[in-house]
Amino acid sequence: MRGRAGQLRRPIVSTLFLLAAACGGDGGGAGGDGATIVAGIRTDFSGFNPVTNTSQYTDEVIKYGLFTPLVQYDENLNVVPWLAESWQEEGDTAVTFTLREDVTWHDGRPVTAEDVKFTYDLAKDSATASLIGSVYLDEVASAEVIDPRTIRFVFTRPHAQALEDFWWAPVPRHLLQDVSPAELANAPFNRQPVGSGPYRFVEWQSNQRLVLEPNPDFPAALGGPPPARRLVFRIVPEPATLLTELITGGVHVDIDVQPDQAAQVEQNAQTVLQSFPGRTVYYLGWNNQREPFTDPAVRQALTLAINRQEIVDALLSGYGEVAAGPVPPWSPLYPQEVQPLPYEPQRARQLLQQAGWSDSNGDGVLDKGGQPLSFTLMTSDRPLNRSVVEVVQEQLRDVGVAAEIRVLEFQTMLGLHKERDFDAVFSNWVLDNFQMAAAPNALFHSRFAEAEGSANRSGVADPQLDRLIEQASATTDPDQARVIWAQFYQRLGELQPFTFMFWLEELAATRAALEGVEMDQRGELMSMPDWRLQ
Amino acid sequence: MAAFALRRLLGAIPLLLGIATIIFFVLNLAPGDPASLYFNPNVPPEVIEQVRRNLGLDQPVHVRYVRWLGAFFTGDWGQSFAQGRPVADILMEALPNTLILTGTALVLVFLFGIIAGVWQAVRQHSWSDRTLSIGALFFYSMPSFWLGLMLMLVFSLKAHEWGWPIALPPTGITSVEYEFMGAGEKIQDRIAHLILPVATLTLVLSAGIARYTRGQMLEVIRQDYIRTARAKGLPERRVILKHALRNSLLPVITLLGLYLPFLFSGAVFVEVIFSWPGMGRIIVDSIMQRDYPLVMATSFVFAVMVVLGNLVADLLYAIVDPRIGYET
Repeated sequence: MRGRAGQLRRPIVSTLFLLAAACGGDGGGAGGDGATIVAGIRTDFSGFNPVTNTSQYTDEVIKYGLFTPLVQYDENLNVVPWLAESWQEEGDTAVTFTLREDVTWHDGRPVTAEDVKFTYDLAKDSATASLIGSVYLDEVASAEVIDPRTIRFVFTRPHAQALEDFWWAPVPRHLLQDVSPAELANAPFNRQPVGSGPYRFVEWQSNQRLVLEPNPDFPAALGGPPPARRLVFRIVPEPATLLTELITGGVHVDIDVQPDQAAQVEQNAQTVLQSFPGRTVYYLGWNNQREPFTDPAVRQALTLAINRQEIVDALLSGYGEVAAGPVPPWSPLYPQEVQPLPYEPQRARQLLQQAGWSDSNGDGVLDKGGQPLSFTLMTSDRPLNRSVVEVVQEQLRDVGVAAEIRVLEFQTMLGLHKERDFDAVFSNWVLDNFQMAAAPNALFHSRFAEAEGSANRSGVADPQLDRLIEQASATTDPDQARVIWAQFYQRLGELQPFTFMFWLEELAATRAALEGVEMDQRGELMSMPDWRLQ
Repeated sequence: MAAFALRRLLGAIPLLLGIATIIFFVLNLAPGDPASLYFNPNVPPEVIEQVRRNLGLDQPVHVRYVRWLGAFFTGDWGQSFAQGRPVADILMEALPNTLILTGTALVLVFLFGIIAGVWQAVRQHSWSDRTLSIGALFFYSMPSFWLGLMLMLVFSLKAHEWGWPIALPPTGITSVEYEFMGAGEKIQDRIAHLILPVATLTLVLSAGIARYTRGQMLEVIRQDYIRTARAKGLPERRVILKHALRNSLLPVITLLGLYLPFLFSGAVFVEVIFSWPGMGRIIVDSIMQRDYPLVMATSFVFAVMVVLGNLVADLLYAIVDPRIGYET
C-alpha cells in the first residue's frame, strides 16, 4: 500500500505544476494590450429590451452601454440632449424632439423617429407591462412623427420635470414589429439585442458572463467608441467571492461591495473604493390603519426613540445618511433646511405618556386600557434587515415599547405587506428615476390607501399630504417645487406615517489600474463607455 | 438484470409523478407571486393583472396543474417567467456544468473515501489511522459553504497575496480569455477552475465514505475466510484488495444512492460560492423569483438523477456480489 500511495503522489504534483502556467496569470487582458475589462455583478441580467426590462443593472447596461436614450443626465442631474440633439417645448403642454442623424442601429440602419414612436406605442400598450409606460410616460398623452428626425409628444397636463419623461431608449422597429406586445418579454431579440449605444452585444451566457465590444460607429459627439477592447460582465453571486476576484485581479470592477468589506478595499493599494449616495431609502412602515399606529403621536414617539445615526454607524460602517422622507438629500429639488427628527428618547416617553400610555402593571411595557404597547415588526431575511430590526427592538424596549421580530423570506414578506396584513415592517424603497414626486405619490397618496396591491401599504390618508404631493408634481418651477417639498417634509415630520431610517450609500470597488470610472446617483455603470485600463 | 432495470424504471414513473405533484402544490401554495418580479409599485394594478394573464397565473391552481402536467410529459417544459425563454434551453445550458462538477466529485469521493478507509483499516490504531480519523471527522462536520470559502481564501486570495507559484481561480467555469486559448490551455484552464469546487464537495463527502469503509473492512478482516486466505499463503495485498475489499464494498455501494441527494444539495451551495453556472444556481434563483416552470423542471431533473442513482447502486450490487441476482 505504501508503495502505491507514493506512486499516486507524483502525478498529482506534476499536474499542479502544469496548472501553474494556466493560473499564474492575473486574469483580465485577452491580448497583448490588456484592454479587456471585466466587471463583476451579483445577479444575472434579464433580457436587454428597454421596454420590458425591470431590473436595475440591465437598465444601466441598456441606458449607458447598448442603447441610446432620447435624453441623458449630467452630473448635476440636469437633462441634456442625447439621441435627441435638441428639443422645442410648447409651453408646458407638448415637446418636439429633433433626433441626431449619426446614431445608427448596430446592424447599420439609422435610428429614426419611427423607432421612437414604435417604442412609445409598445411602452403604452398594457400588454407589454412596460415600466417605461407606467414610470415615465404616465403623463404623456400622444406621440406624432413629424418627419424621420422629428417627433412630437403631447402631455396630459403640465407637470414637474417633464423632459425627464424621456429618459428611455428606443428599440429598433424593423426587428421587433412582428412580435406581439404580450410576447415582447420573451422575444429572442432580448437575448441577442441589436442596440444603438457605444457598446455592441457579442455574447451572453446565462449566470456566467455578458460580453460587449465597442461600436466603432458611435458618434464622437456622444463620446465615440469606448477605448476598451471588450467589456465582460461576470456574474458572481457571493459578495465574499466577488471581492476575492477583485483582489486577485480576476475582475476590475466589483459592483456590489458590502459595508463591512469597505475597509479591506481601502487598505489594498491595488483597489479603490467607490462610494456615492444612492437611490435606496430604508424605512419602518407603520400600518397607519391599525392600533396603536393610528395615533400620530405614537408614530412620532417611535421615530424619536430610534437612534438612526447609531444604526448607520454600527451596521453600515457609516455608509449611509439618516433619512427624513422619500425625496433624497442630493436631489436638486430637496429643501436643504429639512432636518430629520432627532433621537430624543426622553421626549418619546413624554409623548407616549401624553397619549395615555403608561406602565400600569410594572412589566416594563407601556399599556393603555389594558392593551400593551406591543406589535410585530416584520422584515425579510437579508442580513442587514435582520440586524437593523434587532437594534430597533432594543432601542424601543428602552421607552417601554415591545416589538416582536418576525423575519420572513422576501416574497412571503412582500405578500403580507401588499395585503396590508402587518403591524410594522422594515423595508426599503428604490427610486426608479429622478422624478421626485413619484415615490411620495405612490407611498402616501390617499387614493392608493385602499387600492389592492398599491404601494401605499401603510394605508396613509391625509388630505394635506395629498394636496402637497399634487402641487409638487404639477409645478414646473424648481424654486416653487422646493418650497412645496419643504411643506411636505414639515407635514411628514408631524405625521410620521413611516419612520424613515436611512439613505444607503452605495459602495463599489475598482482596480487602481482602471481609469475613467465615475459613479454617482446615475448608477455604477454610468461611465462604462469611458472605462479603460492603464 | 435488464428486466429488473426495466421494472425499476417503470416503477419510478409513479414515484416521479408523485414528486412532481408535491413540488407543484407546495410551490404554488407558498406565499409569493411571480408577477412581483414587476413589484415596482409604480406599475398600475391592471398592468400587473396583464402580467399574470401573460404568465397564465390568472387560472386556478388545479387548472394550472393539469395544464402543466399535460405539457410537461409531452416534452413542453414551458417558458421561464424570469428569463423569458424556454426552460429546456436553460436546463441544457446548466445541466452539463452540474454533471461535470458532481460527476467528478462523485468519482473522487468514492475513490478517496475507499482508499482512506482501507488504509485506516489495514493500519488500525496507527498514527496514520488516527490522523485520518480526525481529518475525516473534521471535514465531515464542516458545512460545505464554509469550507469552500476557506479553500478559496487560502488557495486563491492568500496564494495570490503571498506569491505562491499556483493561485487557483476563485470563481467561474473558465477564464475570460478562454476562447482565445489553445486546446491544451483550455483543458488546463477548465481543470484549474474545477479544483476548488470539486475539492470542497470531495472533502466533505469522502470523509463519510472513509469512516464507513474503515468500519466494514475491520469487520471483514476478522472473518474466518480472510484468515484462510492468509493461511494459504496469499500475499497480503491480494488478501486485502481482492478478498476483503470486495466484500466490504457491498454496503458502501448502498451509500451511492444515499449520497446523491447530499451531493446535489452540496452542489447548490458550491455553485453559488464558486459562481458555477449550473442547476444549483438556477434552482436558488428560480425559487426566490417564484419562477414556477423553472423550479419544477430543475427539481424534477434532480429527482430523476437521484432515482437513477439508486437504480445504478442496485445494479452495482449484482456486479460486486455474485450471490445477488435480479433474475426473478
